[in-house]
Amino acid sequence: MSKPNTLWSWFWMIVGGLYFFLPLLATFEFSLKARKGVYSFLAYERVFADPLFLRTFIFSLEMAVFTALAGILLIFPTVYWIRLKLPQLRGLIEFVSMLPFVVPAIVLVFGLIRVFSGAPFFLTNTFAGTNILLIAAYVVLTMPYLYRSIDTGLQAIDVRTLTEAAQSLGAGWGTILFRVILPNVRVSILSGSFLAVATVMGEFTIASFLVGIRAFGPYMSLVGQNKTYESSSLAIISFALTWAFIGLIQLLNRGRVQTQIAGAH
Amino acid sequence: MTYLLLSNLSKYYGNTLAVENFNLEVERGEFVSFLGPSGCGKTTTLRMVAGFEVPDQGNILLEGEDITYLAANQRMVGMVFQSYALFPNMNVADNVGFGLSVRKMPAEQIRQRVSEILKIVQLEDLQKRYPYQLSGGQQQRVALARALAIRPRVLLLDEPLSALDAKIRVELRAEIRRIQQELKITTVYVTHDQEEALSLSDRIVVMNKGRIEQIGTPFEIYNYPQTEFVASFIGQLNLIPVQVVDREGGLYRIGGQTIQVEQNHRTPLSSQPKLAIRPEEVKLGQVEGWNQLTALVRQVSFLGAIVRIWLEVEGVSLLLDVFNERKLVLPKVNEKVVISFPHHACWVL
Ligand SMILES: Nc1ncnc2c1ncn2[C@@H]1O[C@H](COP(=O)(O)OP(=O)(O)O)[C@@H](O)[C@H]1O
Ligand SMILES: [Mg+2]
Repeated sequence: MSKPNTLWSWFWMIVGGLYFFLPLLATFEFSLKARKGVYSFLAYERVFADPLFLRTFIFSLEMAVFTALAGILLIFPTVYWIRLKLPQLRGLIEFVSMLPFVVPAIVLVFGLIRVFSGAPFFLTNTFAGTNILLIAAYVVLTMPYLYRSIDTGLQAIDVRTLTEAAQSLGAGWGTILFRVILPNVRVSILSGSFLAVATVMGEFTIASFLVGIRAFGPYMSLVGQNKTYESSSLAIISFALTWAFIGLIQLLNRGRVQTQIAGAH
Repeated sequence: MTYLLLSNLSKYYGNTLAVENFNLEVERGEFVSFLGPSGCGKTTTLRMVAGFEVPDQGNILLEGEDITYLAANQRMVGMVFQSYALFPNMNVADNVGFGLSVRKMPAEQIRQRVSEILKIVQLEDLQKRYPYQLSGGQQQRVALARALAIRPRVLLLDEPLSALDAKIRVELRAEIRRIQQELKITTVYVTHDQEEALSLSDRIVVMNKGRIEQIGTPFEIYNYPQTEFVASFIGQLNLIPVQVVDREGGLYRIGGQTIQVEQNHRTPLSSQPKLAIRPEEVKLGQVEGWNQLTALVRQVSFLGAIVRIWLEVEGVSLLLDVFNERKLVLPKVNEKVVISFPHHACWVL
């Protein structure tokens, strides 16, 4: 690489870094100002002291985990099958997977309520029913992330030959999917799930219409409207959690990633 | 009873003919190769035996059982791929034991069988390695061990050596044959490399454009090719245009020189008859009772064990191979020489 090129890369990295970190720093600084005249963690203490914080956080985390699981169970076999047997349909499926980016969440949630609150479903009549509806909506909402990452993961391995090798050794579809293919796209599935979880944790529109203040998104919004400093500290907390999560996944996959990359060629 | 019978197999992809009217009988323990240029239908035929493709016509019988429509995972047929296709997430032992664990064999037995088979392919020390930690040759040995571990009824190999370096290729080739003989396993081997097919096989099926050109032992295929395609695809072959003097008597003319051909394996004479002869059948100098031609030396190239001489006969080029010896006297370029070949060594196409 030539010198000017390196300089430019550094320049853009610094510009990008400032763009990213300055607002974060400002928010953090602001969140420390709850007590007049001195920096303190008062706002953070108040947030943690609020029982609603933990309750909504755990509720949304549960929803997020179920969303990721349901999404994987739905999308992984589908993408695998399309790569194996119907490669000509890939364009169409890719288009469908992008629809959630185009259809506004508000439209989605009204549609869901309209269809599933009446006969023969009556899903919104119970907590469990509403939760199921919420998860279903989130599966749709997070589909682009999961689809993309799983599809990219499958692209890196020779799906067809691995499948045939397993078949000739006597394996059925379950064995092939979960013992041969899945372990090789573990990293992509995890990173897709992570994006899905992060999306669900902060989601506002669908949650507020279906479950209201029981979810973390609406709770954060409520705090933001009423309590200035606490809302900044909440933003910082969720950011820290996100990063801890990324770090955890990186840690879990350190050995794995190497295996997969080296095994690809 | 024939062990593996392919009867009247045809397969089309849309309008593309992949395989047509394929008939073959393979005996138990036999090593049969499919040989032909790329796109001639070798892989398609093999995949029908493996159960990855369903023929449009015809049947496949294994030990008398019709397996034409049997699912691939029910066939007990081992397959080795050009790209190795090892499971990247499993180590060598787990790869080799995969087919056994799918069949719910007890772990202890799997361990034993895996060690046993890895010993045969000479990889017993690498059980804990992952595929990415192995060389190409080692990976293909693991793939072979994995296919053999289930004790398949037939072993299928699709260009298993094509991705390897020349040296490893020759080594592993010998290894495959040794293992095949040791286990007496019925084997179908696909290759476009004639040397591989000739050196490995009990019999060779030469294919072209989806059809069988000839089936025979390597010796038969090489020495008695039945079609022009087989003759020119396998080995070096001189083809020299000739004029017919007396077809029944086997008399032909090249320019002003007359030659005699023993018509022991005749093929239909084409509109432009050509004399066919292998370079190693042509000798320098006069031999009593043989055909003789005068020729001009164009180039001499020393290949080691063999010296290849490019000649020109009546304006047509002709190759001549001689074995190297220390006392060999090589002709000079542009020298006029006499060459000879026996009547039985040549034929007219
Ligand atoms: N899945 C497929 N779809 C369409 N055409 C195919 C397919 N597989 C093979 N063919 C065609 O069938 C013919 C035989 O192919 P193949 O059996 O792979 O030849 P080989 O293995 O001898 O190189 C070729 O013309 C090839 O293009
Ligand atoms: Mg092929």
